[in-house]
Amino acid sequence: MLRVENLYKSFDGFMAVNGAELLVEKGRRVAVIGPNGAGKTTLFNLITGQLKPDRGKVRLDDEEIGHLPPHEVCRRGIARSFQIANIFHRLNVFKNVQVSVLSRQKKSNRFFYPAHRMAVKETDRILESVGLLDRADDIAGSLSHGDQRILEIAIALGTEPQLLILDEPTAGMSPDETAATMTLIRRLSETQGLTILFCEHDMDVVFNTAQSIMVMYHGKTIIQAEPEEVRRNRTVQEAYLGGEEDA
Amino acid sequence: MILFIVCSGLSYVLGVLRVPNVAHGSLYMIGAFAAFSITKLVAGPAGFWLALILAPFIVALVGFVAERALFCHLYEREHLMLLLFTFALSLILGDLVKIVWGAEYKSIMAPAVFDGTVSIMGASIPKYNFFLLMIGPFVAVALWLFANKTKIGRIARAAAVDREMVGAVGINVSWVFAFAFVLGCFLAGLGGALVAPTVSITLGMDHNLIIEAFLIVIIGGLGNMWGAMVGSLIFGLSQAFGVLFWPQFAIVFPYMAVVIVLIWRPKGLLKSVW
Amino acid sequence: MGKNGSSRITVLFLAALGIVLLFLPSIIPRFYTYILSLIFVTALLAMSLNMVVGHGGLFQFHHCVFYGVGAYAFALMITKAGLPMWLSFIAAPLASALAGLMIGWLCVRLTKLYFGMLQISLGSLIWAITFRWYSLTHGDDGIHGIPMPGSIAGTTGAYYFILLFFVLCLLVMYVIFKSPFGMTLQAMRDNPDRCAAVGINVRRHQLTAIVAATFFAGIAGVLFVVLERTVFPDLLFWVLSLEVFIMCLLGGWFTFAGPALGAAITVALRTFVGIYTEYWTLVLGTLLIFLIFFLPEGVMGFIHEKLESRGRKEVPGPRGV
Repeated sequence: MLRVENLYKSFDGFMAVNGAELLVEKGRRVAVIGPNGAGKTTLFNLITGQLKPDRGKVRLDDEEIGHLPPHEVCRRGIARSFQIANIFHRLNVFKNVQVSVLSRQKKSNRFFYPAHRMAVKETDRILESVGLLDRADDIAGSLSHGDQRILEIAIALGTEPQLLILDEPTAGMSPDETAATMTLIRRLSETQGLTILFCEHDMDVVFNTAQSIMVMYHGKTIIQAEPEEVRRNRTVQEAYLGGEEDA
Repeated sequence: MILFIVCSGLSYVLGVLRVPNVAHGSLYMIGAFAAFSITKLVAGPAGFWLALILAPFIVALVGFVAERALFCHLYEREHLMLLLFTFALSLILGDLVKIVWGAEYKSIMAPAVFDGTVSIMGASIPKYNFFLLMIGPFVAVALWLFANKTKIGRIARAAAVDREMVGAVGINVSWVFAFAFVLGCFLAGLGGALVAPTVSITLGMDHNLIIEAFLIVIIGGLGNMWGAMVGSLIFGLSQAFGVLFWPQFAIVFPYMAVVIVLIWRPKGLLKSVW
Repeated sequence: MGKNGSSRITVLFLAALGIVLLFLPSIIPRFYTYILSLIFVTALLAMSLNMVVGHGGLFQFHHCVFYGVGAYAFALMITKAGLPMWLSFIAAPLASALAGLMIGWLCVRLTKLYFGMLQISLGSLIWAITFRWYSLTHGDDGIHGIPMPGSIAGTTGAYYFILLFFVLCLLVMYVIFKSPFGMTLQAMRDNPDRCAAVGINVRRHQLTAIVAATFFAGIAGVLFVVLERTVFPDLLFWVLSLEVFIMCLLGGWFTFAGPALGAAITVALRTFVGIYTEYWTLVLGTLLIFLIFFLPEGVMGFIHEKLESRGRKEVPGPRGV
C-alpha cells in the first residue's frame, strides 16, 4: 500500500534520511525503530508532506505523493499523529475531533450552519472508541499528557484514514497508559482494518504489536522483516538492540 | 545615513531581544528635542557638539528607566505583548514630549563650520550631509566591533540565540537585555540629535520615522546590522530616484521598493540573525 | 451543548440593550448620539479585525487600509463618479474585499511576523499613494462635505442607519463564528500544522477569512463616511491600525464580543478624557501597559474566566468562546 523507495533528505548538509526504504502492506502493523536521530520523524514528515524529499519516491498505491502538501496527503487517506502533542489546546475535546471530522466531510468551509450540530454522531463515535467521550467538554489543554496523546490519535481518526501514522504514540506515558494505548491500536487495526505505521522507542511495545519492523540507523534502512528475524539479525543487534533489556 | 544610524539601533534591539521596538521612533524624537534644549542652554558651536554627545545619553537614560521599571518584567511573555508594550511606551513618550516641549515646531542650526557645500564627483552636497555620510560607516564599524569583539557584545549575541543557556551559565540575562536595549536607545538618540539641524523638529517625527525604520530593518534582514545599512541605502536611493522622476509621488517609491523586496525575499535580503 | 441559563440571560440582556439603544436618541443630547454612532462604527471595525487576529491568529497589522479603502471608495464614488448612493454603498465594501483579496493573497504565503510586515508595507504604500494623489483624493486635506440623502444626513438619522447595519453585520459575524468555517479558523489559530495534517487547505481558509474581514472593514468605512461626511488619509495610517489592535486586546480577542467592548471603552475614554486634557495618547499608553501586565486576556476574557470558574457546575456554554 505504501512504498518508500530510496529516500534522501538533507538539512544544510546533514543527511537526515540517507537511503530509506519502507514497505507497508494493507492492514498490517508496521513499526520503524532506530536510535535517536536515526531519522524516523524526518521520514514520517517526508511521507506526510511536511517535508519534500531531495531524492527518492514515496508511493501510495502506485501514486507518487512525495511532493504533495500535507492537506493533500491527508485527502489521500493518510492520517498522522505527532510526537509532540499537537492538539487544539484552546478548544474542547469534542471540537478538537470535530474539526477533523468536518474536514473529512468537506464541510470546513460552510459559513451559515451552527457548527455544534454538525457531525455529532461521528465525533461521538470516535471519542467513544478511544475512551474520551466523558471528557468531551473539557478544554484540550487541560488534559493529562497521556490523554492528550490519545486525543491526538482521535483527531487523526477523524479523517477516516486508511493508513494511520503514529509518531511515538506512547512517549511519556506511564506503563498503564502505554498498555491501554497499544491495546487501542491493536483494536483499531483488527476491527477497523486500519493499516498502522508507527515508530517507538519502547521495545516491548514494538515487538508485541508490530507485524513487521523496519530498522533505521543514521537515516538508512538496515532491514525490514518480521520481528523474530529482526531480533536475530546480527547487524541490528550490534547497532541498536544491544540494550534490548532496558526497554 | 541618518536612517541607518537609527535603524542599526532598532536592528540591534531586534536581534538581541527579538522585539521590534516601536518606541524607537519616540526615542529618536526625544533625541532631537533634547539636542534642541541643549543648544538653547549652551550657545554656539559648543552647544551643538555638546548636544551631540549628551542627547544620546539622555535618551539612553530614558530607555534604561523604562526598561528596568517595566520592560524587564515582560521578558517571559510572548513577543506580541512585548511589541504592544513598546507601542504603549511610544504613546506615552510621545505625549511626554508634548508636555515637556510643547507642540510648536523647533529648529536648531548646525555650527558655522558646516556652512557651505562640498563638491563630490561633480555634485555639491551640503557640508553637514557630508559629515553625516562619514559618520554612518563609522557608527557601523563601531557597532560591529562592539557586537562581535567585545565580551558583552558576544554574550548579547549568544543570549539572542539561546537565552536559557546563557542564563544557565550564570550570566544575568536580564542585564544583558537591558544593556542591549539601552544601546539601541542611545543610537536612536544619536540619530535624533544628528538629524536635528536638517529637519524641523516636530511632534510627528516619531511616527514618520518608525514605519520607515521598520521597513528598512525588515528588508535588510531582521537583526542584521549590515542589512540595516543595505536597507537604508535602498530606501534612500529609491526616494532620491522618486524625487528625480516623479516628485509628487516621491514618497511612494521607497514603499514600492520595500514591497518588491519583500515579495521577492520575504525574510529580507541578508541573513536574519534569528 | 448550550441550551442553558447563561445563554437565555444573554438573549434577554441583548434584547434589553436593543430596546434601550432604539430609544436613546430621543432622550440624550445629540452629542452622545454622535458618540454612540462612532462607537458602533469603530466596534464594527474592531470586530472585523478580530475575525482574523483573535479567531484566526493572523498578524493583520494594517487592517485600517481596508477601512480606509472602503471609506475612500465610497466617498469617491459619490463625489467624483456621481454614482447613486445605494450603488456606492454596495460597491465600496466590495472594493475593500478586493484589496483584501489581493493583499491577503500576497501575504498568506508568509507566516506570522513576515505576514504582518508585508502587510504593513503594502498598506503604507497605499497610504502614501492616497496621501499624494492630490487630484484624486485631495491628499492631506481629505474630502469634506460628502452629500448624504436627507433621511440619514442628520445625527439621529445616521444613528439609526449605522445601528441597523451594525447589528446586521454583527449577526452575520456571529453566525460565521459559530459555523464550521469559524471553528476551523480558530483551530488554525491554535495549530495550523495540525489542520493541514487533517486535510484543511490552511492558506485558502485564511484567505477567505481575510476577504470576509476586509469586507466588513469596508462596511465600517462606509458607515464612517455616513457619520462624518469626510475622509482623510489618517484613516489608512498604521497608527490607527495599531489602535484598533489595542481595542481588540482591551476587549479580549478570544471572545466574540470583546473587541466591540474594547472599541466602546476606547472611544468613550478618548472623548471624555479629551474634555479634560489633550494628552489622550498618554492615557492610552498607560492603559495599555496596565492591560499588558494585568489583563492580557482583555476585559471580556477576564469576565469570562470569572464566570467560568464560578459556574463550573453548568456546562460552559458556547456563548463567547
